[in-house]
Amino acid sequence: MEEKIITKEKLKEFCNELLGQNIDIITSGDKGYFRMKNGDEVFLNPKVRPTKASFKEYIFPKSEPIIYYKRDVDKVELIDVEVGNKTQVIFGAKPCDIKSISILSKIFNWDYKDEFFNTRANNTILIGMMCEYSDKFCFCTSVNLSPVSDEGSDLFLIPLDENKFAVRIVTEKGAEFIKPYTKFFSDGNKESSETKMKSVKFPEKVFEPEKVREWITNNFEHKYWDEIGKMCLGCAQCAFVCPVCHCFDIVDEDYIYTEGRRMKNWDGCQFSLFTLHASGHNPREDQSKRYRQRISHKFKYYVDKFDNILCTGCGRCSRGCPVSIDLKEIVTDINELASNN
Amino acid sequence: MENIYKPFLMELKDIISETPDTTTFRLQFKDPEIAKTFNFKAGQFGEYSVFGEGECTFCIASPPTRLEYIECSFKKAGKVTDALASLNIGDTVGFRGPYGNYFPVEEMKGKNVVFIAGGIGLAPVRCAIDNVLDLRNDFKDITIIYGARTVADLVYKDKIEEWKNRKDIKTVVTVDPGGETPDWKGEIGFVPNVVEKVAPKGENTIAIVCGPPIMIKYTMPVLNKLGFKDDDIITTLENRMKCGLGKCGRCNIGNVYVCKDGPVFTYTQLKELPQEY
Repeated sequence: MEEKIITKEKLKEFCNELLGQNIDIITSGDKGYFRMKNGDEVFLNPKVRPTKASFKEYIFPKSEPIIYYKRDVDKVELIDVEVGNKTQVIFGAKPCDIKSISILSKIFNWDYKDEFFNTRANNTILIGMMCEYSDKFCFCTSVNLSPVSDEGSDLFLIPLDENKFAVRIVTEKGAEFIKPYTKFFSDGNKESSETKMKSVKFPEKVFEPEKVREWITNNFEHKYWDEIGKMCLGCAQCAFVCPVCHCFDIVDEDYIYTEGRRMKNWDGCQFSLFTLHASGHNPREDQSKRYRQRISHKFKYYVDKFDNILCTGCGRCSRGCPVSIDLKEIVTDINELASNN
Repeated sequence: MENIYKPFLMELKDIISETPDTTTFRLQFKDPEIAKTFNFKAGQFGEYSVFGEGECTFCIASPPTRLEYIECSFKKAGKVTDALASLNIGDTVGFRGPYGNYFPVEEMKGKNVVFIAGGIGLAPVRCAIDNVLDLRNDFKDITIIYGARTVADLVYKDKIEEWKNRKDIKTVVTVDPGGETPDWKGEIGFVPNVVEKVAPKGENTIAIVCGPPIMIKYTMPVLNKLGFKDDDIITTLENRMKCGLGKCGRCNIGNVYVCKDGPVFTYTQLKELPQEY
């Protein structure tokens, strides 16, 4: 894998050049992801904690039209939605965020291909960055990831010091992208980046995903689900900030009585109305059943179907939960229940 | 850009009022090119829409042996079904499909078939019945057992008459005790009890069952007692669906997406699912 070096100053120039070419750059500072206005906004501090929300909305928008319609007295006309071909760069995201796109790609391409997702994903260059942060909520190492994993990145940044970054060219796509901009980079060597990566303290692995999956398979009616379900409010904050939650709703919105659009909007399995039938029957009528679905889907169903855990261990759901439900604690509890059997 | 969420435009050709709250629509593709190439298998469903109100999931009730139109039946229950119920002949309806898996009509050939349905559960089964009847000689004995709460709740009344008048099949219609009218000539009793009374043999027979959860719950043991193997009992599940193509997560039960791995399941497969539907 080829490796280059770039200084922070040159990175700022590189960004300005991209912006000048009408390429969007989405990066994060110490708050959330935002669209860069100019190169001076380059932050890239590996020691800050993950942003409040993931960057998934730039590839899987919160709310997007899937078809426009016009209603006349005697006919309806459908107008296609154009997603467009604008290149965008996700710049400096942690491994736990970058991995989300390849995980989501599995369901969005399960037989039927969602071209809304694919077009945006294909137009996105993912530049990941090594992470040097961990707190009691993170658990990337327990879900087969790590703070230095370049899985899913097209280019991967390793901060050698405050002003110098090693840049690993991970994919063909990354190599193609960087070709017109080699003037900002100098040649690197693997030694310094490898030394740096070895110096990162990995969060301790706290559960065995395979054990958790097996326990979930055999304990559908376990009373543990009631214990956690009692705390959950069903606000679905966890689903919205999560890099890989992807449940959505399809609704029609009229502008005026002659036209409108059909929208694809984020939804969440924690909402009480999510599985409500028109007959009034709700197969998941209380929060324990809904919470059971969340954990089971993430750690068993998605694994069984797509060979990927539907969780990157970023800890956002727990950090933001209004009633302090801690996903790491829950899965660790399950791991312990599994070990005690 | 290919758009899996884009519906076909259909013209509402005919409206049949089945019961006070159930309606059948007959739809035709507005685009004759699509009408020529459209095909589906019995058991599959579609997402039907009123533009401005939303989409709704119904099975395709007409058989794939008659492709000049497609039919769906629905009950007025919420926002979209209310809007559908207010449409007039000539109006436009959106349709996405066909989605899901299908009844194994090919594998059923050469065997006896028993159709058991309750209430509006006859809609998905009717498609399979007509499909099988259109190929009558490929199957052995055919029995239809259908029941509803009251005489007024029986759907496809003209279809039922058609089936009753055929000499080459056995048709039994029942209403719940208390649901009969003074001139009712059919059976009186709950569907599972009538199945026990008619007692179709399980050997070399496939049973297709569809109806309210409680009817299915009590019919399954009766069929097991009559010698039906779990693999030979087939049902079609209803669940809240949205996208219809295995992405939005709404119909996910266990490792299965009802819209994509179903809606047709054998009793064996049903037993393997977490019991939450």
